Amino acid sequence: MIVSARARWLSLAILGFATVLVVLPFVYQVGISFKAPNRVMTDAIAPFGFPISVANYQTILRDMPLPRYLWNSLVFSAGVTLGQIALALPAAYAFSYYQFRFKNILLALVLVSLTIPFVVTYLPNYLLLARWKLLNTLPGMILPMLGASLGFSIFLLRQNFMSFPRAITEAAMIDGANSWQILWRVVTPANVAAIVAVAVYILINTWNQFVWPLLIGGGDKNSYTLTVGVQLFYANVESGEEWGALMAASVLASLPTFIIYLVMRRGILSTFAEGAIKG
Amino acid sequence: MLESHVRPTTQPRGASVRWRIGLRSAVPYLYLAPALIVITLFIFVPLIQSVQISFYQWNLLAPKQIYVGLDNYTALFTDERFFTVLLQSAYYLILAVFGNFLLPIGLALLTLPLKNRTVAVFQSTLFLPTVVAVNIAVIVWRWFYLPTGGLFNSLLNAVGLPTIGFLRDSSFALVSVSLVSNWKMLGFHFLIALAGLRAIPKDYLEAAAVDGAEGLALIRRVILPLFSPTALFLLVITLIRALEDTFVPLEAMTRGGPSGATENLMYSIFLEGFKFFRAGRASAMSVVLIVLYSGLIYWQFRLFERSVQYDR
Repeated sequence: MIVSARARWLSLAILGFATVLVVLPFVYQVGISFKAPNRVMTDAIAPFGFPISVANYQTILRDMPLPRYLWNSLVFSAGVTLGQIALALPAAYAFSYYQFRFKNILLALVLVSLTIPFVVTYLPNYLLLARWKLLNTLPGMILPMLGASLGFSIFLLRQNFMSFPRAITEAAMIDGANSWQILWRVVTPANVAAIVAVAVYILINTWNQFVWPLLIGGGDKNSYTLTVGVQLFYANVESGEEWGALMAASVLASLPTFIIYLVMRRGILSTFAEGAIKG
Repeated sequence: MLESHVRPTTQPRGASVRWRIGLRSAVPYLYLAPALIVITLFIFVPLIQSVQISFYQWNLLAPKQIYVGLDNYTALFTDERFFTVLLQSAYYLILAVFGNFLLPIGLALLTLPLKNRTVAVFQSTLFLPTVVAVNIAVIVWRWFYLPTGGLFNSLLNAVGLPTIGFLRDSSFALVSVSLVSNWKMLGFHFLIALAGLRAIPKDYLEAAAVDGAEGLALIRRVILPLFSPTALFLLVITLIRALEDTFVPLEAMTRGGPSGATENLMYSIFLEGFKFFRAGRASAMSVVLIVLYSGLIYWQFRLFERSVQYDR
């Protein structure tokens, strides 16, 4: 496109400014975590304080059972991710390769499930888990989350399966493979990239959940996830030196998804953009 | 949650390539059953239960359910507080339209004169807040907003301005909360807007340039009309998500305060149910939420539907 150099520089300046503002909270988050605890509240404007101190990290690693929280977050996220993929794969397969009665109605139902505001389901689900004696347990956290974005996983996988060449599945069928074998030996391996993308998406989403793990697991320290643990650790910091330690905790808690994003940035962005455009 | 960023397009797919196996057998239902059971059990059954509970007076602490008919609803609609909550919900929607609809589209249009590689840098960086947990990201914002020792008031005081109670003053608190959720979602909506712009065929732009269209005229006459499906999609998800996205910042920063000034409908439902244990009232509010949102929900559903290629 033909544009003047001035327009280009103006665009760069505005976008650059917006980006700096968006990143600023992270700069302060990291900066404060490395400030000496007694200087966190005194020179607020400078994001970094020298000399760099790791005292905040020492405090948080001493006082917070980080490995426990990390483990809970990991089991919770992995459980939801694997569970959703295991449920969504066969469903997406049926929706892409089969003709059957009520297909469109069932597909519509799956889509409708995505549009129900989550807050509506909290109370009944909580009561259900209380009846099943699953409060303050990881299975209790995982189960309702399996349904939460399942419709979306089915939807995304189906979009990929629909563009998968039929000749390949037909050839497999002529070779005598049954539909179960076609699903696991042909369709799944051929769509690994798409499945991984959906899985990473679910993983990040689940890892970052806060309200539901708080409701279900908030009653017992042993079932805190990382998000819940950090939130409840200093329930009432308003002033004083805890801010440094809290910031260190927030840096540590953000690292896992941050690293996944750095490593898989291209894949994550293109999945999201693709979902947005191709549908 | 980020799940519904889906825009409709139609992929050409002739009926001839549609492949049929196992016509009218039980097999597809078996594949679908586990997923449908989970969705039904944890989404549709709770939805129906919410409607049912809304007709009862039920204090979760003393679990005795008393049928009260429409009392929960009449109580809501005669309660001035409830209308305040609805009004505040509308404020959140308006702020989200600026922060998560107009702003990302504006920023996306600004990338037009830039090289792809430069745009990629902005895209990856702006997306960062989407990747971290909201309640974790909120920690640094709480510090920003502190009356003493936080960043914003230190800056204000440094230039001789008085301290502002960003989260304590009821005239600032709602905007402060909204700012955090808008910050969080900006990069994601920017990504969608950008993808929508890129989907505009290059030929159109070149043809328009040959015809002499350039600059703002090109944007107004050629790009925006072609961009409108993406804009529509963005608007719908912005409106649908506006209240959900403020949920965690509210719980982690103000808990609806000061004196209810930051509450919105979704957060109030949560407070009624889990803080005040009034299950009937919370459920009645859930039903009101669904009814108020039904138009948007239907709209969103249609957008989804257009992109799933039903079989005819």
